[in-house]
Amino acid sequence: MATQQQTFSNQTLLSTELPAIEKLAQQPIEAVYSSTNRIINLSITLFFVMIVLVIKYQSFIEISAGTEGVVVKIVWAVAALSLLFTFYKALADVRKFYGLREQDISFTSGVIFKKTVSQPILRIQHVELKRGPIDRKIGLASLQVFSAGGAMHTFEIPGLKLDDAESIRQFILSHKDANHHG
Amino acid sequence: MDSQQAAISSSDVNQWQRISPIAIVYFMVKFVYGLLGNVVYLAPAILIGYKEVLANPHIWLPVALAVVLLLVLATFLSFYFFQYRLTNDHIEIRSGVFAKKHINLPFTRIQNVKLEQPIYYRPFGFTCLQLDTAGSAKQEAKVVALKVNFAEQVKKQILAAHKAKPIISDEAELQSEELTPEADNEILLNQRSLKDLIIHGVTNNRTWIFLGALGPFFDDIANYVVLFFNDLGIDIENLLTFADKPWWQIGLYALTLTFICMLVVALFSIAGSIISFYGYTLSKVADRYIRRSGLLTKHEVTMRLARLQMVVRQQDWLDVLLNRINLKFEQSNANMQNIQPGAHNNKIIVPSVKPNECQALIDDVYPHNQMMDISYQGISKHFLIRNIIYILLPVFSILIGFFTMVGKTNVLAFIVPLFFVILLIIFCRWLRWGFAVDDNFIYIRKGIFGVDYYCFPRYKVQQTIFKQSWFLQRKKLATVRFVLASGAQDIPFIPQKIAYNLIDDALYEVESSRKSWM
Repeated sequence: MATQQQTFSNQTLLSTELPAIEKLAQQPIEAVYSSTNRIINLSITLFFVMIVLVIKYQSFIEISAGTEGVVVKIVWAVAALSLLFTFYKALADVRKFYGLREQDISFTSGVIFKKTVSQPILRIQHVELKRGPIDRKIGLASLQVFSAGGAMHTFEIPGLKLDDAESIRQFILSHKDANHHG
Repeated sequence: MDSQQAAISSSDVNQWQRISPIAIVYFMVKFVYGLLGNVVYLAPAILIGYKEVLANPHIWLPVALAVVLLLVLATFLSFYFFQYRLTNDHIEIRSGVFAKKHINLPFTRIQNVKLEQPIYYRPFGFTCLQLDTAGSAKQEAKVVALKVNFAEQVKKQILAAHKAKPIISDEAELQSEELTPEADNEILLNQRSLKDLIIHGVTNNRTWIFLGALGPFFDDIANYVVLFFNDLGIDIENLLTFADKPWWQIGLYALTLTFICMLVVALFSIAGSIISFYGYTLSKVADRYIRRSGLLTKHEVTMRLARLQMVVRQQDWLDVLLNRINLKFEQSNANMQNIQPGAHNNKIIVPSVKPNECQALIDDVYPHNQMMDISYQGISKHFLIRNIIYILLPVFSILIGFFTMVGKTNVLAFIVPLFFVILLIIFCRWLRWGFAVDDNFIYIRKGIFGVDYYCFPRYKVQQTIFKQSWFLQRKKLATVRFVLASGAQDIPFIPQKIAYNLIDDALYEVESSRKSWM
């Protein structure tokens, strides 16, 4: 107990001097995450557009005008959705920030509906590093943080440099080892 | 206690044990339920089989024999391959015929110990012991047939294992834990009589238990109802078309029909309530709360006080009228797989208690709480503005415009009252939503016509979320979400400054006190 008080001297401070989430210093995720996503999403959109063009102007297979009309409309719709998605992601990916303090980790995201999730490290059940095939190519990773709140309340910090992700994970694990429970 | 522990460990339970053969009955029931539950997938096979039997009537006997043989074999194998072992503070279970499962659970990781006694075990004095773990590992172990006494002993031993676990909190707390006598002083806290259960059935819908089972038969039921009324000389389909009937007549039919439906629903609900809660007792031993109830399957759920995440004092509008409260003690939600209707695995529900009983229970669990005394701060009027002006009015304007254009003005007679009903609902919801904080707890009040109160200790918070849309930012408002192990609670549309303070205080309390959440 005595050592706890020595290492944690916050107990006698006024509330105005408590750590404030409003002043949390947050840093953005890696820029290459956003640019890579943009490229991928644009490619997918173009792919759908190409499918439409192929269907309309190809002469290999006989398709009735009615079916062709319907199929073309559907694929156009999908392409339009894909374009919207690309725009949205372009906006959203640059608005992702994370902040690591001594005792907790926070993640901010959202374009219109902004939200900041804060998780005390003490309450982290476990952390995982997730890397998709694209992440591997560009040297990034996602940090998945699991709390006891259940599957619905885990959050994920994408677009971290692999080294950064590893060191954050290590920090969290050694923080938890020093405390033995949560 | 020590002698009991010795009794368990000294017996040859340290070896792999088979359970009693009565488990075969359990596996048979489980198999049948499994068949019924998957009847949708088996339907093609059954249909084909049925056609074959019609074509060749003499094969029904061998087929039936084959099915029975399969059933017997499957259940016997399930029983044969089920073994368990108790070693020092571990329980191991080996089960599974083809997909073998080996579970090794240290007692300290077990969050919940439940005893379930299905009705067919009762004459023989057996019960199922179910163990749940906390956290995201989601392990669940069920020893399917143990003698009741033995199961009780194992339960005691498991619960005692937690006393040895170091609790890093006040030294005073640690000392009081050691001093608490491990006596069998079970104090009865509450009982529910049949009348209470009927009230509960009326005010709460347990109908989903029955509706779920009836789902596939709705069509047949509808047909049956039509035929039934036909026999009585009433052509119900003709009655129900209202192209040329006067409004008052239609209204009367609708009202009668609604009442009949509500009566039927209420009857099913009462039956469901009685099946779940028959013989309900809530008692307390040291720091553990034990709930026992059930008509067919007897459930016993034990919850240590430390596992309690949140207390919910819930009242629907009907509960308010009858002056009854449903009290819920919520634990971690980590194991939601084994949902049986009525089992209420993760909460202890005290159904339809009177206000003074309710307050006594809440005070027993959280001695310093001020749930009903503290004054609640409301949420911003902007909640009304957003919901009414930005959502409700536009939607209804479009609907009204559309139906007037299309010429179906008689639908308006339905839409306009609906608008006012929704308006009332939004207003009541705004009025009810409030929050309060004191040194230990966070209180949230919600509801529309009924009122629900939520109360949890600040240090149980797992995660906080600060939500602010563009629109809220301009008004300097925000929404706070507190995530606990039992689920999340929101406080929307509060001043930004207060939101920040709530979150900062919660994070500080969790991080500085270092108290375990369970």
